[in-house]
Amino acid sequence: MKNNTELKESAEHAQQRSNVYGFLAAVYRKELSAELLVQIKDSPFREVLSDLGVNLGKEFFSAPEEELIENYAIEYTRLFLGPGKHISPHESIHYERDDGDWGTHWSASTVEVKKFVESLGLNYSETDRSMPDHISVEFELMQKLIEKEKEEWEVNEGKDALHYIKIENMFMKDHILKWIPQFCDKVIAEAELPFYKEIAKLTKKFLEFDKKETSVNGEEDRQKVEQA
Amino acid sequence: MSKTKKVSRRDVLKTGGAVAAAATVTGMPASIAEAATGNPRWAFVVDLRRCVGCRTCTISCKSEFNVPLGRWRAVIKTVDWGKFPTARRAFVPRLCNHCAGESDTGVPPCVEKCPEAKSGKRMKLGNERYRTGATYKRPDGMILVDMDLCIGCYKCIDACPYGVRYVDPNVKLKRPDREKDLGIGKCTFCEHRVDQGIEPSCVQACPHETRSFGDMNDPGSKVSKLIKEFGLDKKRADTTLLPDEGTMPHVFYIDPEGVLDHYSFDHKNQEKRLAEYRDNII
Amino acid sequence: MAQLTRRNFMKFAVASGAVLAAGEGMKSKALAGDIKTQTGRDFSPTTKKERKAIPSACWQCVSRDSMIGFVEDGRLVKLEGQPKSIRGNGHICARGQAGLTSVYDPDRILHPMKRIGPRGSGQWKRISWDEAVGELTSRIKKLRDAGTPEKFLYHYGRAKASSGKLIGGMVKATGTGSIGNHTGVCESAKWTAQEMTWGGHFDNWDIDNTKYMLIFGSNILETHTNHMSVAHRIMHAKVDRGVKMVTFDVRMSNTAAKSDEYIPIKQGTDMAVFLAMTKVILDKGLYKGAGEEFLEYCKCTEKHDDSVANKIAALKKHYANYTPAWAAQISGVPASTIERIAVEYATTKPAVLIAYRGPVTTYNGTDCERARQVLSSITGNVDAPGTNCKAVGAGWSSAAIPKAKTKKVKDIFDGAPKGEPESYPFPTHHASHQVLDRIKAKGPGTFDVAVWYCYTPVFANGNHMRNIEIVKDEKLLPFVVSCDTSYGDSTHYADMIMPDATYLERYDWEDMVDPTQIGEFYIRQALVKPLGEARDFGDVMIEVVNRLGIKTDYKTKEEYVKMSVDMTPGVKEAGGWAYMAKHGVWNDGKAKFYSYKKEVPASAIKEDGVVYDEQAGVYWNAKKAHAKPGDSYFKTKNAYKYYVATKMGNKLLAGFKPDKINKSGYMELWSQVVKDAGYNALPEWIPAPNQKNMGPNDMHLTTYKVCVQTHSRTQNNKWLTEIYPNNHAWINPKDASKRGIGDGDKIKVKSSIAEMETYAHVTENAQPGHIHISHHMGHYQYGRYASGKRAPEGRDDPDDKNIHWKWHGSHPNQVIPNRGDRLGGFQRWNDTVVQVRKA
Ligand code: SF4
Ligand code: SF4
Ligand code: SF4
Ligand code: SF4
Repeated sequence: MKNNTELKESAEHAQQRSNVYGFLAAVYRKELSAELLVQIKDSPFREVLSDLGVNLGKEFFSAPEEELIENYAIEYTRLFLGPGKHISPHESIHYERDDGDWGTHWSASTVEVKKFVESLGLNYSETDRSMPDHISVEFELMQKLIEKEKEEWEVNEGKDALHYIKIENMFMKDHILKWIPQFCDKVIAEAELPFYKEIAKLTKKFLEFDKKETSVNGEEDRQKVEQA
Repeated sequence: MSKTKKVSRRDVLKTGGAVAAAATVTGMPASIAEAATGNPRWAFVVDLRRCVGCRTCTISCKSEFNVPLGRWRAVIKTVDWGKFPTARRAFVPRLCNHCAGESDTGVPPCVEKCPEAKSGKRMKLGNERYRTGATYKRPDGMILVDMDLCIGCYKCIDACPYGVRYVDPNVKLKRPDREKDLGIGKCTFCEHRVDQGIEPSCVQACPHETRSFGDMNDPGSKVSKLIKEFGLDKKRADTTLLPDEGTMPHVFYIDPEGVLDHYSFDHKNQEKRLAEYRDNII
Repeated sequence: MAQLTRRNFMKFAVASGAVLAAGEGMKSKALAGDIKTQTGRDFSPTTKKERKAIPSACWQCVSRDSMIGFVEDGRLVKLEGQPKSIRGNGHICARGQAGLTSVYDPDRILHPMKRIGPRGSGQWKRISWDEAVGELTSRIKKLRDAGTPEKFLYHYGRAKASSGKLIGGMVKATGTGSIGNHTGVCESAKWTAQEMTWGGHFDNWDIDNTKYMLIFGSNILETHTNHMSVAHRIMHAKVDRGVKMVTFDVRMSNTAAKSDEYIPIKQGTDMAVFLAMTKVILDKGLYKGAGEEFLEYCKCTEKHDDSVANKIAALKKHYANYTPAWAAQISGVPASTIERIAVEYATTKPAVLIAYRGPVTTYNGTDCERARQVLSSITGNVDAPGTNCKAVGAGWSSAAIPKAKTKKVKDIFDGAPKGEPESYPFPTHHASHQVLDRIKAKGPGTFDVAVWYCYTPVFANGNHMRNIEIVKDEKLLPFVVSCDTSYGDSTHYADMIMPDATYLERYDWEDMVDPTQIGEFYIRQALVKPLGEARDFGDVMIEVVNRLGIKTDYKTKEEYVKMSVDMTPGVKEAGGWAYMAKHGVWNDGKAKFYSYKKEVPASAIKEDGVVYDEQAGVYWNAKKAHAKPGDSYFKTKNAYKYYVATKMGNKLLAGFKPDKINKSGYMELWSQVVKDAGYNALPEWIPAPNQKNMGPNDMHLTTYKVCVQTHSRTQNNKWLTEIYPNNHAWINPKDASKRGIGDGDKIKVKSSIAEMETYAHVTENAQPGHIHISHHMGHYQYGRYASGKRAPEGRDDPDDKNIHWKWHGSHPNQVIPNRGDRLGGFQRWNDTVVQVRKA
C-alpha cells in the first residue's frame, strides 16, 4: 500500500504524463496554430526544449508569425495530408499486421481502435472529422486514460488506479507502440522544416521513456496495490 | 460476405439428417464413396456458353478475401484462335478444382504432398470423422488450408498441376517457429459462406449464371441437374481440366462449342503454370 | 537530442500542462463522453462484429445499378447487387464489385486544398471548408454584384438524377447559365438524331421479349450506358431462349466474341450498311405487315399526311443508290451478308437493333442514327414489346429549388459561331469538347471563376497537350475549383480542390432507364460517412447559395433527397423514404409501350392560344410561344416546348412528343429542320472529308472500352487496374508485319495534331487497316495505380510492393483532335486517320 506522499506523487506523475500526451495530441491534430506557436515560443517552453536539445532553429523564434504559420501549414499538408507524397498519420496505414489487413484507411486497426475507444464508454465527437485511429486521437485517448488514473490515485487510496494503468499499457502495447515510433522515423526523414522533425524525435523519445516508466512504475504499483 | 441470396435448401450443407452406412473409401471411385456418407459432395459447374469474360467473379473474390495484387483465387482466361475475319474468342473461368484425388490415395496431389496434412484437430462432419491439416480434404470434398498449421514448405504449390495456389505476401504464418514465413492462399470454395448456407461469392456475383455451386450427392440440386443434362461426370476428358493428371477435378465445364480444345498451358513447367494463373486483359 | 530523464520529463510535462491550459483550441476534441469501465474486472475491448446491409446504388458508371453495401464496424467490406431490383436482378459488374476501394483509395483527397506554387506544380496547402466555401462564395458574389453572374463557369462531367437536379439548380440560383456538360463526348449524336425523329432521347431494347438481337458498334456485354441491366438479359435471351445475336464491330470485342455471328466492319461505315439494309428490305417488300402499320405514324415525305404507299415510294427513291454492293465497297462487309442480315432482321419479329457509340462517333454521326431509326421503323420494330422502345425511368418529384433568372456567356458551349469551322446546326447536347478552345478563342475576361465537378477537361477531351496549355493559362481561367475525389489529371491544374464524397458516402434519388419499360424508382444512401473532410458537392453548393442570402428548404443534399422521395407519388404511398431506405427500390408494375398512340382529349386543343400548323400537322400553343399569328411551327424558336398534339387521320394523338427540336408527333424520318439547315431531309451518306484521300499506309484509329474500367475514372482502383493496367494498341498481323512491328514492340502513332508512343499488341482480333486503342489508360496523375505516382513514403499500402505493372498506358486522346459531327457536333472519337510505325 502506498502512503499519502506516494499517492500524491503518483497522482502528480500521472498528471504530467497526461499533459504530455495532451500536448502531443494538440501538435498533431492540425496545422500549427497561432495559439500554439505563441505558447511554444514562450520562455518556459522554450527553455524546456533547449534542455531537451530540441532545435527548432533560429528562424522559428525570429520569423514573422504569419509567415511561419503559412510555412508550417504547407509543411503539415505536404507531410500528413497530401495530395501525393505524404505520411498519413493513421495507425491503419502503418501498422503492418500479420493478416495483411492494413495499409489503407479504415482497415482492421481502425476498427480495433474504434472498438477500444467505444468499449471504454467514450464516443467520437460528432463534429470531429478525423478517423478513429488518427495519431492525435490515440494520444488523446492516452491523455484521458491517464487523467482517469490520476483521479483514482486521489481517492480510495489509489485502489483502482491499477485498473487504468493496465488499460494504458494495453493500448500502448497493442496500438501506440505498434506504429508511432516507425511513423516518427518516416516524419524525421521527410520533414523539411525543423518543427515536425524535432517533434517527431521528441515523440519517439517520449514514448520510449513512457514505456519504461509505465512498465517499471506499473510493476511497482501492481505489487503495492496487490499487497494491500 | 452476405445473405442476399441463399443456396437453395437442398444445396446447403446437411448437418443432421439420415445417417448412411459408412463406406470404406479405399478401392471405391471417389464419387461413389462420397455418395454413401450422407455428407454433401460440393461441386462447381462452369457454363462456358454463358461466360462473357466480365471478371465480376474475379473481383468479387478479390473483395471477399482482400486478395493481394498479383495473386488470384479466381481468374478468367481469354482464349483466342483462328484468323481474321473468322477469328474466335472465348473465356475460361478457372479456380481450384477441389479435386477428389486419385483413386488409390483418395486425396489430390496438394494434400498428398503436404507434410502437415493431418496435423490438425479431429473433426466430424455428419457421421464422418476427419483430421484437419495445413492442406487437407474435408469429407464434403473441399480442399482447405489452415495457416495455423502451415509450415511454409510450399510443397503444395509445387504439387498442384493447375498452379492455383500462391504465396500470400501479406499473411504471416502463425506457427511459433515460422512467424517470419509467408502463408499461402487459394480458392476455398468460399467455405465460410457455404457453411452458413450462402453460395460462394463468385457464384453470387456472376451476372450470367455461368457459375453454379452445389451438392452433387443431391439429385435435385442445380449442379446435379446440370451434370446429368450435359453428362459432365461421364466424359471428364471433355469437361474437366488436365483430365490426364488423374486428379478428378470437381469443377466441371459445360462446353458444347469445344472451347477447352483451344485452351492449354504448359502445366508440367511450374513457372509457366503459375504464370498462367493470372487474370490479365490486353 | 538529449535523453529524456525523469527530471527534464517533469519540466516538459509542466510546460505541456501550461500550453494546454492556455489554449482553448488545444483541448481534446475528437473524443467525447467519460470513461466508464468496470474497475473490478480486466478490461477487454469488444470484438463483436456489427454487420449491416444497406440498400444503395452503384455509380462506378452511369448505369447506376441498385446494390447492397455490407458495412462491418463502420467499414465498408462488400458490395453486391440488389436482388429486389427489376433492372439489375441482383447483379452488378466487376467495376461495381470493386467500388469499395475508391473509398479507401490511398491517393484519395480528404481535405480542401489551396494551390500555393505555380499552377500545375503540385504544391498545396490544406484550408478549412469555411475558407474554401467562403472563397468561392465571395468570388461569385463579386460577379453578381457586378451584374455579370455568367462569368462563373460550372462544368460537370457526371451529375445525374438528384445530384444533377440539385447541384444544377443551386448553380443556376447564383445567376449563371454558363453550364457545361459532357454529352458531346459521350453519345450526343444518338440523342440529337432521336430528337429529330421520335423526340426525347434514349432507346431501350426490350430484350426480355425479343427474338433477334442485331448489334452495331456496341460492346454491351462489357460496358454500356445501361450496362449490367441489359447485359445479363442478353445472355439469358441468347442461352436460355436461343435468341440469335449478330454483332457488327470494328474489332473483336467480348460482345462480338459471344455473338452467334461476328461481322467485322470498317470504321465509320455502319451507316452505309444501315442504308443498304433498308434498301434490301424496301426492295423485297419486307416492310409489309408491322412495318407498314408503323409507317402510318412516320413522316417520310414533305407531307405529313401522305399515304403509306407514297411514303414507301419516296423512301425507295431516296434509297435507290444505296445498294448492298455500294455498301460492301465502303464497309468491307460482303453484299451477300448485308442482304442476309437485312432479311433476318426484317423477318424475325420482334427484333432489337442496338447501335451505340461506334457508329455515331464519326463525321456522319447524327445522320447515322437517323438511318438506324429508318431501319427500325420500316420493320415496325419501334416502341412495341421486343423492339427498340422509348426509354422509361423513374419520375421523381423534387423539393423546391430556388428560381432565378440566369445569364450565359455565348459561343462557348455549342461549338464555333455559325460560318466558322466546327459550327453545328443542331448542338442539342452542346459540344463540350470545344469548350476549352472556345474559351481560348474568346480570350481573357470570359470567365472569372470556373468550377469543375467530377470533370476532367484535360483528359476526357481530345488533344491533351493543347488542353493542358489552355488550363494552365491563368489569364484565360483566373480561378479554377476542382471538385474531385482523387488527384485527377485536371485537378492537378486547379487553384482550389474541394474533396468530394464518393458515391458510397452520399444520398440520391435515382432514375436510370429500366429495361423492363416499367421505370424503377431507387435510391442511393451513404454506406459510410465521408472519409476525412470529404463532402458532397451538393451540400457545398447549398451552402454557397445560402451564404449568398438565398433560402432553401434544406441544408444538405441528404435532406433534399429525403424530402423529394417523401413527396413523390407512388413512392409516398408505399412509405416514402422509410420504405426506400429499407428496400432500396420501388416500381408500379406497369410496362409502358406504344406511348405515341395515346389519344389527347379534344379539350386540349381548345385551350387559349392553341393553333393548328398545317405544314406540321401539329397543334401547338403559339401564344405561349410568343409567336405571331401564322408563324410556322417549325421555324419558331423553341416551339416544341408548346407542342400539344398531332393530328393523324381523324385522331388526335400525343404522338412522338418533341424535345429540344421542333418536330411533329410523327416519327420524322424525313426532317423539315434538317432540310432547312441545308442537308437532305432523309438520312444521307457523305464521306468524311478527312478520310477522302487516305493513302495505302494510313490507318483508322478507333478507341474502345473494356469490362474492368470506366472511361478515365476507375484507374486508381487497384483490383480493376491490375487486370487491365495499360492499353496496348491492337494491330492486325498483316499491318504489323508490313511495318516490322512485333507483339509488344514500342510504336509511334501519328495524327494530324500529334504523335504518341505506345506498345503494340499484334492480334487477329484487330481489323486490317485499323489500330484500336482503349481510352482508359495513360493518366498523368490520379494516383499510384493509375499513373505510378504514389506517395514515396513507401509502404502506406500493403499492396504497393505487389504492384506488378510498370507501364501505365498511353492515352489515345493525345492524338485525337476535337471535331464534331456535321449535324449535332458530337465528338468524332473514331474517325481519326493515323500513321503507325515502329519506334
Ligand atoms: S462473372 Fe461469370 S460471366 Fe463474368 S467472367 Fe466470371 S464466370 Fe464469366
Ligand atoms: S486444383 Fe490444385 S490446389 Fe486445388 S485441389 Fe486440385 S491439386 Fe489441390
Ligand atoms: S469459390 Fe470463393 S474462393 Fe473460390 S473462386 Fe469463388 S469466390 Fe473465390
Ligand atoms: S454497370 Fe455501371 S452501375 Fe452497374 S454495376 Fe457496373 S459500374 Fe455499377
